[in-house]
Amino acid sequence: MIPYHRTPQPTLPSSAVKIVGLGGAGVNMLERVALDGTEGAELLALNTDVRTLTGCVAGEKIQLGRDLTKGLGAGGDPELGHQAMLEAEAEVRDSLRGRKIVFLCIGLGGGTGSGGAPILTRIAREEGAFVVVFATMPFAFEGRRRREQAETTLNELAVLANALVTFDNNRMGELVLAKQGIHEAFAAADHMICESIKAVIRLVVRPGLINIGLDDLMSALRTNRSRCLFGSGIAKGKDRAASALRNALASPLLDQGALLKAAQTVLVHLCGGEDLTLYEVELLMQRLQKFVPESAHVLFGAVVDPTMGDNLSVTLISALPEDSLAAAPRQLSHATENPSTEAAAESPLPTPTAQPKPRRILSADSSAPSLFGEETPITQPTAPASVQAEFRSAGPVPVEEPSSAAVSVPPADMDSLPEEDSYDVTPGSNDSASATTPPAAAAPAVGLDEPSEPEAPKLKLGVKSLTPQNELSFDSTPRGRFEGQSPNVVDGEDLDLPPFLRKKK
Amino acid sequence: MARHSKIHVGLEIGTSKTCIVVGEVKPDTAVKILGIGTTKTVGVRKGEIYDFPQARACLKDALVKAEDASDVEIGSVYLAITGAHIQGLNSRGTFRLPEGQSIVAPEHVEEARGIARDVHIPPDHVHIHPIIRNYLLDDLVHNGSPVGLYGKTVEADFHIVHGIGARIQNSIRLVRETPLEVDDIVFSPIATAQMALDDEQRERGALVIDIGGGTTDYALYLDGAIAASGCIPVGGDHITNDIHLVTGLAFSNSEKLKIMAGDASPDLSRSVGVAKLVDDRGYAEVEVSRSILNEIIRQRLEETLQLVYQRLPQDSVKAIGAGIFLTGGTSLMRGFSELAFQVFERDIYRPEPPEISGVQASFKDPQYATAIGLIRYAQILETERATPPGLFGKVSRLFWPFGK
Repeated sequence: MIPYHRTPQPTLPSSAVKIVGLGGAGVNMLERVALDGTEGAELLALNTDVRTLTGCVAGEKIQLGRDLTKGLGAGGDPELGHQAMLEAEAEVRDSLRGRKIVFLCIGLGGGTGSGGAPILTRIAREEGAFVVVFATMPFAFEGRRRREQAETTLNELAVLANALVTFDNNRMGELVLAKQGIHEAFAAADHMICESIKAVIRLVVRPGLINIGLDDLMSALRTNRSRCLFGSGIAKGKDRAASALRNALASPLLDQGALLKAAQTVLVHLCGGEDLTLYEVELLMQRLQKFVPESAHVLFGAVVDPTMGDNLSVTLISALPEDSLAAAPRQLSHATENPSTEAAAESPLPTPTAQPKPRRILSADSSAPSLFGEETPITQPTAPASVQAEFRSAGPVPVEEPSSAAVSVPPADMDSLPEEDSYDVTPGSNDSASATTPPAAAAPAVGLDEPSEPEAPKLKLGVKSLTPQNELSFDSTPRGRFEGQSPNVVDGEDLDLPPFLRKKK
Repeated sequence: MARHSKIHVGLEIGTSKTCIVVGEVKPDTAVKILGIGTTKTVGVRKGEIYDFPQARACLKDALVKAEDASDVEIGSVYLAITGAHIQGLNSRGTFRLPEGQSIVAPEHVEEARGIARDVHIPPDHVHIHPIIRNYLLDDLVHNGSPVGLYGKTVEADFHIVHGIGARIQNSIRLVRETPLEVDDIVFSPIATAQMALDDEQRERGALVIDIGGGTTDYALYLDGAIAASGCIPVGGDHITNDIHLVTGLAFSNSEKLKIMAGDASPDLSRSVGVAKLVDDRGYAEVEVSRSILNEIIRQRLEETLQLVYQRLPQDSVKAIGAGIFLTGGTSLMRGFSELAFQVFERDIYRPEPPEISGVQASFKDPQYATAIGLIRYAQILETERATPPGLFGKVSRLFWPFGK
């Protein structure tokens, strides 16, 4: 065989991808993305409200409507948000210049997000980027007005954006138990969105064995006025294919896979370590067939990523027309269940009303630490612990002290973190982890064949056997009565050989 | 339900012996053993037949002996099978009730069972048993069928035993050629557990390890339902082979030494001195240091038990309340229970070798545990078949025709 080098599939440089959070909810999502560790993407936070910006961990921040709102929010008025965005257009354009892909995270229904998103999308498109919009729809209890504002913006975005992924906050309620805190609910919702952003980035940026690209993503999401169905699951160990799929289907956006029944196109993306087997893929896809209609177009992609270790991750993306997702009766009960939490619920959303400022500081304060505190179990092992500690300290401090010094500190930390650092650290740490295992596993396997040869003479001394020594020919590792049978190998050890000889070494 | 007594026959073609047990099940479900026919097996290794003509001759011999002893003409048998290819796995089928329906209907349960049974097994494998463990209704465990209850999600937990179809079929063919009919095939440890464990022990959690000549079969019961089962292709033959390989003694002498002098105990004080085999004239024919002999045996058995331990679900050993039941010929090895205790750190129950021979004594002999367990299995199956369909939850196991 003539060895030749194959140029690896070109990957997008990290500088080509930008994740933009717009408005209060968008910045929250962005923060979650930053905390969970992004694989090579720049983060940009945009908001009218300067306080949420100072508290944000994103590497790049632009204040919108500096003269218009003077550091306050847009007060739930899309028109203000619209104007504010126009004011900062040049700055935003500079920041988005030369990006290949822009992910835009917004919470619809408020002022900044709803008003600014269409313009931002247009700017990004004009700069030649492929724009994927992740939008959350407001809760049912937030009222018709906000819903209508959200729908208007959504209609505009449907035309402007290349791909539109919509999440319904009403469905997010299923992510957590009824008695869990509201901040946990929002943390879970943000986490969910963040997972899907990361999954899409992974999908687009990482070259696959069976590749899936933006074109597949677009066709999976190509239904007008659609809601995104998204599920992502990760599992390891025995039966990991089945459990990964089960985890993916457990996503509330999929309703145990019941919603996939109506899907026309389903994108399935598998990512596993080097031990990913065809059998596992086959098993997983066969299981999935049960949930997907036969006529559906299944877009399948698989990636082997050594940093996954023995994990296997499954991502399902699909879209349904909005009307087929008639609001479940559950949501109403949810709304009536805790009307008192409504006010608190608004704070993480992009609903910057003018008056209740002090309260919002408090709620931001109280929710921020718990957000971070709850962070530890959720974060992927890729984020180094020190990073989290840094975040934890950097996060709440600037909220209270919006001085320029505090503002400038986090970016200095951040710059190194989400972009290159986490990207470099990830494979490194995993490599060392995986590097320790193979030798351990290989050692007994190697020792398996060898021990008999050097061991033989020693053993003969210990045994007062009258049988002639030439019968003790250990050179070819005799197996006695099991000679000539198929080897009985378990975990790299031939069980037909005496443990007495195998274990000596 | 059988109103008159019924005769069942259990057949186990083991690595070291072929054993046929004829049992009579009385109307009050008491079991009486009528006779046992046993003969040394040739042509089976690690629980799998490699020499059919020889194995067939052995089977015929055992059949004649059993018919003689029990005075019954045997027409059909329950066959115990084992082999490294047989695996047990747990599968859960989840079915979400359609929109608008909140009461579990029989077809919903059936659907959940269907999904659970529909595990992806390698293409050449066939199902041997699908055993229902329990149902879950909205994450709440129900031992019985949840039909008629309110809920959103029905789940069925199954323990599915599967193995390579061709090998199982060959075992069946061997029996059919004898000629005998096969009523059913049973995975050995499941049959053994019928004999070794009662309901209370299963409820508290128990592990049966049947360590025979060529294979070590195990079945774990937790909370009254089977939680794991499987087969490790290592048995008493391996000990003999190990002694042969390490010391260079002939097989016959190795076997004798193993039985006469072997000790698996981790206690070093038992490994002092020299083990001797004396020939007819009283001279020492073979001498092996006990420390080496016992070390060979101990390492082999410890490794085997460790393999069983590793294959059990995580933390399940801690959940064993009743203890670990050792059966099979190799479990007669001296010091084995100490060794098993060292590995599992649970109560160990080990059958004592029978003092006297004869039919009554064979109840106690661990070598016949599987074959006698087959009679129990047949009896349970018989009662189940008699119960009207639909009462699936009441019966803890369900028979699924082979090959389907």
